[in-house]
Amino acid sequence: MTAPTEFGIALFSTIMIVSGFAFNLVKFEWNRPLCNGQGFYLGIEVPAGFYDGPGKSWLKSYRATLIALHLVLAVTLAVLMALKLWNWTPAWAGGSALLYVITLVTLHAWTRHKLGTNLPVRAVAIAMESRRLSDYIYWPLEALSASIIALSWGLLLHHDGMHIDWLPPLQMTWMALVLPAKILLARSGSPLPAERTEEHFKYQDAMRRNGISYLNIWSWGCLVLLFGVALGRNCSPAVLPWLGWLVGGVFLAVFAYMMIVIFSGIRLAATLGRDLRPTGSFATPFRRAALPKMRRSYLIWFAVWIVPILASSVYAVIR
Amino acid sequence: MFLTLQTNDKRPLYQQITDGIKSLIAGGELREGASLPSVRQVAGDLGVNLNTVAVAYRQLQDEGFVTVRHGAGAVIAARNPGRIDQAELLPPLRTVLTQFILAGLTTHEIEVAVRQQLSLLQQKGGAQ
Repeated sequence: MTAPTEFGIALFSTIMIVSGFAFNLVKFEWNRPLCNGQGFYLGIEVPAGFYDGPGKSWLKSYRATLIALHLVLAVTLAVLMALKLWNWTPAWAGGSALLYVITLVTLHAWTRHKLGTNLPVRAVAIAMESRRLSDYIYWPLEALSASIIALSWGLLLHHDGMHIDWLPPLQMTWMALVLPAKILLARSGSPLPAERTEEHFKYQDAMRRNGISYLNIWSWGCLVLLFGVALGRNCSPAVLPWLGWLVGGVFLAVFAYMMIVIFSGIRLAATLGRDLRPTGSFATPFRRAALPKMRRSYLIWFAVWIVPILASSVYAVIR
Repeated sequence: MFLTLQTNDKRPLYQQITDGIKSLIAGGELREGASLPSVRQVAGDLGVNLNTVAVAYRQLQDEGFVTVRHGAGAVIAARNPGRIDQAELLPPLRTVLTQFILAGLTTHEIEVAVRQQLSLLQQKGGAQ
């Protein structure tokens, strides 16, 4: 029995990522500007008849941008495949995520800038309930993941002089370190409109919990790989193929689970937020409302986190 | 429970927060022993300066509505701190009634407005 090759894992992961992108595009992103009804465009309140006039071209431009974005991703992947540059696929995945986020954030920002801020709401509300980190972050699990990282590095450092490529474990450790992002999400909150406050509050809380769940699953996927790599350095060659299949299988199962959670989260958000004034569509005298993942602090964290991953992925290929 | 702030209110924001929390206490929504969200959370959610919320909390603490416990943050104290004399409450009431009279409201209209506000507080549960 032979261990799964990096090529096999890269191929399978790529197929799943591409399917995820395609499903997301067709099912959610294509009609996102319309998801709050005819009175809104991409979460921004628009006058009646907007979709009979300028709304048509806005919608056309939005969809053209989405198509262009996905075409860029598809063409770069096709080029990598044609040139058999399989070791570039992790860098492609990271770069795609970055490009995707940058494009959508810019699109939202541009739309808000051009279509203008809505009139401020007359009254805002905030929940007078303490939001503790422990309501969102399960600390024993965090301790377990920290222990796995420590154990993995203990195993890696105990290598009896065997040559080790330190870059992959370093990358996986960095990728698994998403606790700051979870703390940022747990602490994030926006003023709520005074009408249907309870529903807005539930929606905002669901968004916060969704974001934290994605990060949790992602982190565990990375930990599986890190621990697998560390174990692989210390077990006999006879066990290696079995270990490879086991780690690969668990990683792909975690990855598939993450996709399911992401899409069910998107669906839940659409259901909870369908009849509500979209977050970001109103201004308060103090500041705009914003989704947790569109907050500046979160975006800064994302940039700080993903840039080293991308840079190291590129370095791994060109060194 | 939610603290609602009117954007066209002329009172300073810290005063609105103080009065809003007192109203929640009077309505029985915030009971003795309940924890208030941290200053950082309220300031972050509203998008205002930490000091604005801190001043409101300090005022509530000074008036005996809130106690600050180490590790537990701000906690609601007894609903009637017991330190306020009825005579102290009459001047602000007189000021408000004067404004109503100057606004041209009749005695009956003022009585209705007062009863409505009192009833609203009682509906929230627990004001007596």
